[in-house]
Amino acid sequence: MKKVLTTLVIVSLFTFTFGVKIGITQIVEHPALNKIYQGIIDYVEDSGVDFEYEHQSAQNSFQNAITIANKFKTDVDIIVAIATPSAQAAATEIKDKPVVFSAVTDPISAGLIPKFGKNPGNVVGISDMVPVETHLNLIRTIFPDAKNLAILYNTGESNSVFLADQTKKFGLQLGFNVIEITGTNANELVTSLNAQANRIDVAYLSTDNLVASSAEILDQVFEKNKIPVVAGDIDIARKTSVLGFGFDYYQVGIETGKIVLDLINGKKPYEIESRIVGADVLTFYINLDRARNLNVNIPQQFLEIADEIVDTQ
Amino acid sequence: MDLVGILEQGLIASLVAMGVFISFRVIDLPDLTPDGSYVLGGAVTVAFMYAGLPWILCMILGGLMAGFFGIVTALIHNKLKVNSLLASILVMTMLYSINIRAMNGPNVSVPKEITAQQEAQYTERTKLDDILGMSTSKENQSNLQVNETKKTLSPFRENSGYNSTILIATVVSIAALLTIIFLRTELGIALRGYGGNKAGIKNLGMNPEIMSIIGLFLGNFFAGLSGSLFSMYGGFSDVNMGQGIVVTSLAAVILGEIIFGRLNLFYNMLCPIIGAVVYQFLLALAMRYGYTIGFQSSDMKLITALFIIIVIGLRRVEFKKWLSLKTSE
Repeated sequence: MKKVLTTLVIVSLFTFTFGVKIGITQIVEHPALNKIYQGIIDYVEDSGVDFEYEHQSAQNSFQNAITIANKFKTDVDIIVAIATPSAQAAATEIKDKPVVFSAVTDPISAGLIPKFGKNPGNVVGISDMVPVETHLNLIRTIFPDAKNLAILYNTGESNSVFLADQTKKFGLQLGFNVIEITGTNANELVTSLNAQANRIDVAYLSTDNLVASSAEILDQVFEKNKIPVVAGDIDIARKTSVLGFGFDYYQVGIETGKIVLDLINGKKPYEIESRIVGADVLTFYINLDRARNLNVNIPQQFLEIADEIVDTQ
Repeated sequence: MDLVGILEQGLIASLVAMGVFISFRVIDLPDLTPDGSYVLGGAVTVAFMYAGLPWILCMILGGLMAGFFGIVTALIHNKLKVNSLLASILVMTMLYSINIRAMNGPNVSVPKEITAQQEAQYTERTKLDDILGMSTSKENQSNLQVNETKKTLSPFRENSGYNSTILIATVVSIAALLTIIFLRTELGIALRGYGGNKAGIKNLGMNPEIMSIIGLFLGNFFAGLSGSLFSMYGGFSDVNMGQGIVVTSLAAVILGEIIFGRLNLFYNMLCPIIGAVVYQFLLALAMRYGYTIGFQSSDMKLITALFIIIVIGLRRVEFKKWLSLKTSE
């Protein structure tokens, strides 16, 4: 025991610092969030600046998120916080160093920034808001007769609840009857979907971590019930959907990396705009195999602007 | 290492640890309700802060609401004759939905001094918009609403006039002192007696059901108080923030017992407090030096669990022997 402790102390004495130190705090290990982290690191490394970084996950414990924020307050120069709770913890604890948030859909009601654009203070970042209105218009165009639109999300995820509210707002305007299918784990979500599957004309999936994790099993239910799916997240779209229009989370990481690089190069947080992931990184995905199976007709003009088409025939 | 921050967090966590100490040690009823009531404390506090009540009152109301659900657990346990563990799991499950209702969503941030807010909206034009014939009026609509000024701000914000460490320490000391005083009253002694012998209390002409109600109320009152402090300290309350809180608090209590041993009531009450602070400190150490010896962030749960096992094991003499044999080789 003593030996271990002494080696620990010795090792820690020999860690010397160089360049700028970035601390990345993330609420939980999750494919989408890990992609963001990877995107940030890749982008900053490619730029060739001298930096080192430390990556901490709070393993879904909010107390740990605060502990990590406290640690970063003294140890690093720039803090990157991935997902809402980590960002809230970092922004509350740290006032004198730049805090860059990422993948916070609604940073305004999360209390991080008062508005998009330049803000006073030390918090700046990227929102992963998806163009809900565009998605619903797309669904309306492709499925003109659809009445019942199902949205699937985790009630415990603030980003998803916000997007669900947006969907209800715009859905009403386009004459959809929005059916909410919710759960707090994969099992509840699938049960809920099975219970209501026969009423659904079309399903709309957005950037929900639970939906992303259970995409395969949801796909089985959709296929069995002949329900066409449109997704606002590319990873989910590839697994389940006829149409998808969204960003790759790696791209969100790249966009966040741009802000981090600006900060490394001496810009101040209040000189940088907080913004939504740009329209230029949205990927349009069409799966013609699924479209044929479900007798969905996709007009030629959409095929012309698609970035990714799956067609095995 | 921000030692002050670690101390503050440890003290906040020590309140739940005190609650867990009361339910597990004093009245000997395993109770998982704090996983939900901790969040409820935070949720109720933030909700009332938006209503503009003074923060001390918000905190106490949060604690009382959490304590009320401790009573619910006790009633289910007593009236339906189910194991307290099962009763508390049921209440904890209930609380998930109730917390979302209380916060009007899964996550809510503490009121801030922001005078203008706009609704977050996707404003850029995407390449699909033209084909879909969507209107071109997707401009940045800055429908700024000036917030009402009646909401309460967190006492932990900068320039609030309070020293956060002293504030937390005061709340914890008052809670600990009142508990010690209470446990020395006739009722408190009966409560401890109930923990020692559930049936024996009947022979003294007292109702054991009342004892479990009081004990679980207190235990969850402290959990709610802790959640309340945490949400004000962290700036937000989230429906998932109570996950596993009982387990870590129990580890803190056991850690404190190792440090202090079981001497008398006063020292026993210090166990959860010192234990929680030390636990927090060890956690920070693991986070700080874990990487230098090749851990990755996803290993933290493993380290935490192993650490708890070792801590519990340290109470066993044979484990100590085994440990000393291993190290002397």
